[in-house]
Order: sequence, then structure tokens, then C-alpha cells
Amino acid sequence: MAAKKWIGQPLPRIDAEEKVRGQAIFAADIKLPRMLVGKFLPSPHPHAEILAIDTSQAEALPGVQAVITAADIPAEVVYNPASRFHGFLARPFVVFVGQAVAAVAADDLATAEAALELIEVTYRLLPVVNSFAEALRPDAEPVIHGQATAVSGGTAHTQVIITEDSSTGAEEEPDQSPNVADANTFSYGDVEAAFAGSDAIVEYTYTVPTVHQGYIEPHAVTAHWDRPDHVIVWECVQGAFAARNLIAETLGLPHGKITLNSTEIGGGFGGKGEGIFAPLAVLLAKKAGRPVQLVLTRQEELIGANPAPRSLIRLKAGARQDGTLTAVEADILVDAGAFPTGWIMSNITATLRDNYRFQAWHLRGREILTNKASVTAYRAPGAPNLSFAMESHIDELARRLGIDPMTFRQQNVIREGDLLTNKELQSPIGAEEVLKALAQHPSWTKPVPKRTTAAGLLHGRGLALGSWAGGTGPAGALAILDAGGQFRIVLGTVDLSGSFTSLAQIAADALGASFDQVVISKASPDFAPFAPMSAGSQTIYAMGAAVKEAALDLRAKMIRYVAQDFQVPESELSVDQDGVFMVAQPSNRLSFDTLFQLGTQWFAEYGPLVGQGSAPQRQRAPGYAACLAEVTVDPRTGKTTVDHLVVAQDVGKAINPLAVEGQIQGGVTQSISIALWEELLYDEAGQVRNPSLLDYRMPTARDVPAIETIIVEAPGGDGPFGAKLVGEPPMVPAVAAVANAVTAAIGVRVCDLPITPERVWRAIHSADSED
Amino acid sequence: MTTYQLHLTVNEHPVVATVEPHLTLLEFLRDTLGLTGTKEGCSTGHCGACTVVADGDPISPCLMLAAEADGRDILTVEGLGANGELHPIQAAFVTKGGLQCGFCTSGMLLAALTLLKSNPQPAEAEIRRSLAGNLCRCTGYQKIIEAVQQAAEEMNHGR
Repeated sequence: MAAKKWIGQPLPRIDAEEKVRGQAIFAADIKLPRMLVGKFLPSPHPHAEILAIDTSQAEALPGVQAVITAADIPAEVVYNPASRFHGFLARPFVVFVGQAVAAVAADDLATAEAALELIEVTYRLLPVVNSFAEALRPDAEPVIHGQATAVSGGTAHTQVIITEDSSTGAEEEPDQSPNVADANTFSYGDVEAAFAGSDAIVEYTYTVPTVHQGYIEPHAVTAHWDRPDHVIVWECVQGAFAARNLIAETLGLPHGKITLNSTEIGGGFGGKGEGIFAPLAVLLAKKAGRPVQLVLTRQEELIGANPAPRSLIRLKAGARQDGTLTAVEADILVDAGAFPTGWIMSNITATLRDNYRFQAWHLRGREILTNKASVTAYRAPGAPNLSFAMESHIDELARRLGIDPMTFRQQNVIREGDLLTNKELQSPIGAEEVLKALAQHPSWTKPVPKRTTAAGLLHGRGLALGSWAGGTGPAGALAILDAGGQFRIVLGTVDLSGSFTSLAQIAADALGASFDQVVISKASPDFAPFAPMSAGSQTIYAMGAAVKEAALDLRAKMIRYVAQDFQVPESELSVDQDGVFMVAQPSNRLSFDTLFQLGTQWFAEYGPLVGQGSAPQRQRAPGYAACLAEVTVDPRTGKTTVDHLVVAQDVGKAINPLAVEGQIQGGVTQSISIALWEELLYDEAGQVRNPSLLDYRMPTARDVPAIETIIVEAPGGDGPFGAKLVGEPPMVPAVAAVANAVTAAIGVRVCDLPITPERVWRAIHSADSED
Repeated sequence: MTTYQLHLTVNEHPVVATVEPHLTLLEFLRDTLGLTGTKEGCSTGHCGACTVVADGDPISPCLMLAAEADGRDILTVEGLGANGELHPIQAAFVTKGGLQCGFCTSGMLLAALTLLKSNPQPAEAEIRRSLAGNLCRCTGYQKIIEAVQQAAEEMNHGR
């Protein structure tokens, strides 16, 4: 193999220039002749039965070209009432505020909005299930109406292979409520005996609210039927194949009748996996006989578009005076909203304790349905929730035992070969390495800051560890030798995070060619081999493996044909950026362009050169990140300011350090924001109280500190050139690092996120009154 | 319906158009003129994605009616740079990794431009304050700050 030249270089994104010029085409930038504007009518009620819909006035409005309701869904489609995908139009029960009840296509936005107001819906209101307590009542109103027909969900995000689901054998009473969508219990060892032998036992209940992925680009989709039985869709989604599946499944269309073009995507973070609004545009375009574009408003996004789940984790854990962790017991509730996720709660339950060696555990998780927007993935789905609980607990145990929190973590951290909750053995990981990187950092080795300053401000420092196992493929890609000696990498994945730049670096080094000679050609599923969703941090790890394999295959074919041509053994040939050459006599060579010409001319001795990459599922290579946060709290207002943040992450091999740093900084910022600022607020009636970016508080440049990144490269997994996943691990530890820093500052633990000034103020004052 | 006739300058070109009263400047730029480099993130003035420069000041065209832009001089991302060359701010965003998904980028560039015009050597805190009206969800802002610092340096060299 050629010497590595491009991997490890901090190259700018290959799509940066069109983006700074404003020339990149995002989903809402698609303009087609005679294109109509689509809008949907959101349900104002969280739970109701639709008795009648009168669309006649809307249809009569000049400029309205189509109105659809559930009656327009092809009758042969098998409806699954337990699937958010199938719930793209309520039929006939609405189960959350913002669910589409009907939709219109009109000449312009003003007409479409006017038409929505003319649709008359008769609802029969049903009791609202709006809390865990309400949902868990044995006589609770069911959120799902009817029987699930198939298991939906289970996307590429899935982190954990569940090998044991022993809810039946456990001592828990089986739930009588119809709203427990899923339950897992994992037990190991003698929990009671392990607690009995503990010198410290900590019990807290931690809550994380519903938060939104907060991508700046709202969902947008355009549909155009170019033939009576064939539709072309342009959509900002993380997975083109998954988006095509969704349309096929919900509308009963054969896959071959759907061309799914994934556009540039303005952020996804898990929230744009399959694109849940496409069926509306596809049905409207069919009925109107014209292209239809549907773009969500921010309000529609925050009310109805799949946020991340609220959770409640009741945690009890023990340790001995020598620092050995003993037992952990957890009761986990995850609020899925109106449709089951199929996996987020399982992920939380099955990985809650997996970063530390415990002797015994009993972990029970339940996914609960309520009349709220159904949730989906958000960057390391569920991991910030569980990490907040576990890492707070680890700090608290260390404090009570009088052990340094770094030492305590280093003593108990999970290692390769240790038993995981799902009965697998832990893969090679960089957990010890990232802790060590922080342990040596000046921000840790300097003396602990004085808690109180002269000005009365409180300082604190907090530490946390986080991990994410990620997705592992499989994936396919092609490497094509093209005219002019260009290498064209054809793939069906979506560039969510700068991955195409890193994939080009992988291809260049695998070929032995130059980065500038590689072109990444994103293709729709019509033209590309299967690609997994750009999710689970798997694009470099899994798609990169396919790209590398395709490039190596093409390289081998080029060498084979030059060997025939030169009548020399293949072993005497190599590749550099100027072509294939004889190692002993480098001037004796064929350029890539010549090879292309030879393979495409008349009477060619070999055909056009195409390399194939078809990479199976990768091994697991969990990514670890550790975070150190320094905060200042003003006890008079309760306001927390993050002053400084250091994060060390094991990425295996940083294919592009500039992109890796950007991913770490972005993930950490979202994680801080869960700790301190973000919460979708629901009132008793199931309405979102803060559906705007003024009231739903995402961080600005003024809110976040400088984030110092330390890239650690530990071996593990079988990714291309040693790469592991990057995007999700930094999302995990900062939540708890900030929470632990606040606790260090104020001397009390706030167990409910976000850690608002009010909660801090109350915590300080309730501690004072208890003293 | 009453319509308004507009005379304005967009990216140094005179534009004359007849618009309906409800049309926002953002819709006018994106839909009427086809300048889709300006993005719509919220339509309520909170995200800053649609930021353009009007008579030297950063504004949110989602909050301004097209009719109100009569007589104004508007700069969008398409008007940055000259003769096909990137503006130093654009170039710095590319090399410093000041963008990821790119959706907030055009607004961010124009907010940065107005900052550097009025304050050619801003401190980090001043940059953070000036860009606080522009949300970015991908970068954590750090590389954006570094890009603006680099652009400031380069623009000052050119003086």
C-alpha cells in the first residue's frame, strides 16, 4: 500500500466554497416549473378522534390545487397505528398537538394558509395522557388506537444488541397500563449482597427534559410525479435509502417507483433520519398533478417534529471505602411521545452502567407513551440522559468516600474484555486514555479553584466520562476511473458532518493518488449501492470502509492491467499521483488518464475500470470522550457561566483533524446546552409553551466558552486506517461535567435539567435552610 | 389587491419590481429574485440565518416587508467577493472550518462583514457579541470566531 499522505491532514471541506458562496442547493432551494406550496393542518388537540373533515370550502378557494386527508391514502396500504411514519396523517385519531390532519397544495403560501383555515374538522376530545404518572395508571387512556401491525423504527442508530430481555422473570409487577410500549430488565449478580457490603450508597432521581435537535434548516421536501406511476423526491434527510423505504411503506409504492434525491442538509443530528413529512408532499403532488414543495415552519418543527426524549432515571449505586464499585440499581422511564421508538429506552437501559465495573446490577427500563410529539434520535440518543445520571452518581460516591473523582473513575472504568450488560465483552476502547489525557492536563493538575471569590461568585470544576457505541454499517461504494484521470467515488450516503472530505482522503490514500484527483459523487438510491443512514457516527467508520475497499479494488485492477501491458509481475508495480509505475524504473508508467483511455477505446483489451466496495458490518468500536468543565455560579441570581471546557476524545485515527475538532466542539456545545438551557415545555393540556427560538433557548456565540479539544488515537475496531466514530461521543460527557462543576461550586446537587438559575438559587437556599 | 412598485439595489444591481403588500423581503429575495443563498430558519427574526446587509446594517429580511426595502441598498451572500474571488471573510470560513452544514453561513458571513466594517480589530468578546444574533447548531462557534479573527487580520493587511 502507498504511504499515507492525505489522512491526518486538516483539509477544508470540499463543499465549503459553494456554501460560503450561497450556491449549495438545500431542500427548500429546489424550484420546479409550476411548483405548488404545500401546507398541513396541524391538530390543535393532543388527543382526539376525528369525526368528520369538511374540505369543500378549502377546495373551492381559487388557487387551491389539492386538498388531502387520510381518505387519500391508498386503501391497500397496511396501516400501522404504532408507527410515527404511518401517522403522517391522523386516521382517525390525533395523538399529539401538531399532527397533520389534512394538507393543501396551492399556488402560493398565502393561499395555502387561507385554505387551511377553511377546513372544518369535527373532533371528539379524548383524555390527555401527559405525564408518566398518568400514562402508567392501569386504567389509563391508550395512546395507540388499534394493534401494531409491524415493528417500525430500529434504524441505523441502534447501538446495542439486546441479548437478554428478561422482564418476565424479574420481580417487578408487570405493567397493566396500555402505554408501556417496551420494557427491558437486565440483572446480574447478587445486588442486595453487594449493597450490604458497601460503605457508601447514593440514591438520586435524575430528570432530563424533552429537547429538540435544533437543526437550523427546517424539514423541507419537494415531490414531482414525472410519470403517472413514478415520483421524484428532493428532501433533506440523513438516509436516502431509509427515506425511500418510508415513502414505499406508508404509501404502498414499489421502491423502483421512487427516486429519492437527498439534498444538502442544514443539520440533522438524528432528527432528519427518514424525513417524516415526505408522504404529504408525495400525495399532494399526485392529487394536484403538479410538483409540490412542503417546508416546515420553526413553530411546526418545535411542536411536532420529533424531539429527543424526556427521561426519569432513579439510580442507586454503592461503593466500598477502597473505591471498588459494588452494585447499581436503576428504574428508567423514557417518554417516547405518541409512538414507540423501538430502541432508545433499550439503549439507555442496556448501557447505563457499561462505562464502569460493577459487581451486580439490576436495571429496569420502560418506554412510555404520552400524547406528545413522538421522539427520535438526537446525537448519541439517550446517552446524555444516562450519562448525566451515572456520572453525577460517580462523582457523588467519590465525594462521600473522600476519593479524588479522577482516581475513582480510573480505578473503576470499564476495560477491554469486561462484561457488558448485554452479555457481550467490551471491545478495545480508549476510555483509560481519554481519562489520562485529562488527568495530565493543566486544568486538572492545577489546584482546585477556590470555591468563593472576593466578589461572592462561586467556582467549581467538574469531570465526566461518556461513550457511544455507534453504528457499524454495512455499506457499499464504487470507485470509478473517469476521464482525465479522475477517481469518482459513487456513494449513496449523505454528507452530514464533512464526511465527504474525509472519505476523499481515505480514497486518495487507498489508491495512492492525490486528494485533488478524487471526486465524491453522491448518488440517489437509483444509482448508488446501499448506504446506511448518516447516523450513529458510522459514516467514516462503515462507509469509509466501503470507500477504502472500492479504492483498493480499483487500484488492484489498474495494477493488474498495467502488469499485463508491461508484461511484468504485479508485485513490481506501484501507484502514485502520476499513475501506475514500475518500482524499479519509475519513469516507466501509465498515467491514470491513459489507463482510462485504454479501457474505453475501441478494441480495448480491458473494460472501463470500476472498483467495488461492499463492506459488511464492522466490529464495534465504541468511542469515548472525557470532559472537564469549569464554571462560575452567581449565588445571588443562580446563573451559571461555563468558563472553560476541555474535552479529550479517542477517535482511533483522526482522518481530518479540522473536521474532528469541529465535530467535538459542536457536540460539546449541544451537550452543555442540555445541561443549562434547553427544554421544550409542555403545559397540562399537552401544548408546547415555547415553540419559538426566542423561548426555546439554544446557545449563541456569547453563551459558550472556548472549547479545548484533545484528540486521542487509541487502537480498536476495524475501521478504515484505524478510524473510529467521531460525531456522537462528544455529545455525551459535557452534560454531567457541567452538572458536576455546578455541584462543586454550590455544594448541592441539582438533579433536574436544565440547571436553570431558578433551580440553582433554590438548591442553594434549600441547602441553607436544611443546614 | 394593492401592489407596490419597488426601486432598490441588490448586490450593486438596480432592481425594479412590483410586489404584493404581504411579501416579505426574504420571500422577495429568495422567490422573486431567486437569490436562495439567503436561508430561512425561523421567519421570526430569532435565528439570524436570513441576515442580509441593508444600507450597511445587518437586518433580518424575514421581518421586513419587501415594500419597506424601497430605496435601500441590499447585500446578500451572492454579492460577497468580486470577480469570482472569495471575499476574505468567505476564504477564512473555508480555511478555518468556520462552517459545517452551511445553513447559517450566509447570515453569519454578512453579520461578520458588518462587524469588521465598523470594528476592524475586534476582540473575541466583541466578535461573540456581534454574532449572538446568528444561531449555529453545528460548530459550537469556535471555528467561526477563529475565521472572523483571521479575516480581520487579512483585511487589515490589505488596508
